[in-house]
Amino acid sequence: MALLTRAEVEDFLYHEAALLDEWKTMEWAELFTEDGEYLVPPTDLPDADKNAALFIINDDHHRLVQRAKRLTRRTAHVEFPHSKVRHTIHNVRILEQDEAGLTVASNQIVYRAKRQNLDTFVCHTIHQLARTADGLRIRSKRVMLDIDGLRPHGMISAIL
Amino acid sequence: MNKPLESGLGGTHFIRIDPQRCEFLVPRWAFTDQAVLDKEREEIFGRCWLYVGHASEIPKAGDFVARKVGGRQLFLWRGEDGVPRVYFNTCTHRGAMVCREKQGNAKRLTCPYHGWTFDTRGGMVEQPGASGFPDDFFANGAKDLISPAKVEAYRDFVFVNFDPNAVDLTTYLAGAAEYLDLVADQGELGMEVTPGEQVYSMRANWKLLYENSADGYHAITAHASYFDYLRATVGVFREDFDPHDVGGGGKSLGNGHAVIEYQAPWGRPVAQWVPQWGESGRAEIARVKAELSARLGEQRADRIANWNRNILIFPNLIINDIMGLTIRSFQPVTPGYLEVSAVSLAPRGEHPEMRAWRQYNFNEFLGPAGFATPDDVEMLELCQQAYQNMPEVGWNDISKGMNRPDANQGDDEVQMRSFWIRWDELMGAAR
Repeated sequence: MALLTRAEVEDFLYHEAALLDEWKTMEWAELFTEDGEYLVPPTDLPDADKNAALFIINDDHHRLVQRAKRLTRRTAHVEFPHSKVRHTIHNVRILEQDEAGLTVASNQIVYRAKRQNLDTFVCHTIHQLARTADGLRIRSKRVMLDIDGLRPHGMISAIL
Repeated sequence: MNKPLESGLGGTHFIRIDPQRCEFLVPRWAFTDQAVLDKEREEIFGRCWLYVGHASEIPKAGDFVARKVGGRQLFLWRGEDGVPRVYFNTCTHRGAMVCREKQGNAKRLTCPYHGWTFDTRGGMVEQPGASGFPDDFFANGAKDLISPAKVEAYRDFVFVNFDPNAVDLTTYLAGAAEYLDLVADQGELGMEVTPGEQVYSMRANWKLLYENSADGYHAITAHASYFDYLRATVGVFREDFDPHDVGGGGKSLGNGHAVIEYQAPWGRPVAQWVPQWGESGRAEIARVKAELSARLGEQRADRIANWNRNILIFPNLIINDIMGLTIRSFQPVTPGYLEVSAVSLAPRGEHPEMRAWRQYNFNEFLGPAGFATPDDVEMLELCQQAYQNMPEVGWNDISKGMNRPDANQGDDEVQMRSFWIRWDELMGAAR
């Protein structure tokens, strides 16, 4: 088994980010394994356990697919019309790697612009990636916010 | 009287009520005018009981949590004698905040500026360089931390009042106390706030959130995508469910408090099972329901388990007893911006599996990234921005259900009218 290089992992993260920036949310959901999860813990407890603490986002695979689907609908009022979203990714580090998969840390800045407001989400993100026959897939994406509450953002309506 | 009152209406009322026509109108400058907010700070946030926190958030002696309440910086601190107290978070010397962490535990807090030190009873117990003060300078609590005029708790919900002449908390709560009981009674061993706080905001006036938090009328349009989600979730949605007909209805609880009580298809960790929770969930929900019935009687257990309640405690506390149990309080910052804090309340000793479903459920609809709240925020911000049309379009209509005063339905607006009538009284309307 050849180890994946950081550049290869970065390509995957950049691909994921591009899908989100282009609002191809259903394609984004397809990047996840069948047991995949998407988590945003509360800003005051980045290491919290999703089963015990109140998270901001606590999506199992079913719900992340539904989240992706919702964002394709006009009735997801908060994102109709879609806001402008831009992910930038830095400081990518492969923390662990074996035949099954990888743990990847990155810093991400996500900008969301709507109605003359620009909100900035400063994130450090941990991806648990699985190596599959179809290439890399996301088993877990945990986005920890380095902001002191969602103020003035008010919400996370786009996918971080 | 302040300026908008004089210039806006030339009378003593902010709102207009026409019982013949069944029409109830609220002026839109109530949401945009700085003079209105200034007066609200005095007459509403300066005189009403305001929620600070839940006693379970400071379980041990010395535990504290810092909160912004009614425009003040406060902190809740459990004394070494076990008594929860509330202090203004400011040193009596030159004013720096003495409690600098959001939460923690301390037997004493020392002001970082000049080192004045206070104990859990607020007593000023130590200061460097005492020689510059007369011997009796600190006697009789002269420089102790200062508490709001009144601090009281109801079933572990801790409130403050900045008005020394205010009525006691239970009198103030009026009919809302019964609903707080329905929440507090859910745990055999009491209730606790779980870890994690949702800290967010809205670019909207605080009164819009009060209205929205128990607005059944908007569910079917604003939250259409949420109902799509329910339909797509195995076994949650009952095909016979009609969002326009959820039984129950809204009612005023006195002093501006209100509630809507209704039935809904989602799972309630206390104690309505849905297939999503599987057989082990079914068994646990049956156990919870049996315990409720044994402790509170069949009728009360049914009411707790089967009915949802959005409870509005005037002016800025919402308790949603729905697919989870939320405590949401909010503070105006400017006429067009408010800050929200929300936590999840749960029975102490809850089975870990049910606790996990409770937290999962909370995120399904609620919170700043739920499948519904962001759309609510969007609606409120659309309202706030469109109030710029006020010179030509000046009034909000809150009349729905006025033609059936004795049988309010879940999508009527009696709960909002009850808010506005109380708001109008406190703001000086003569009725």
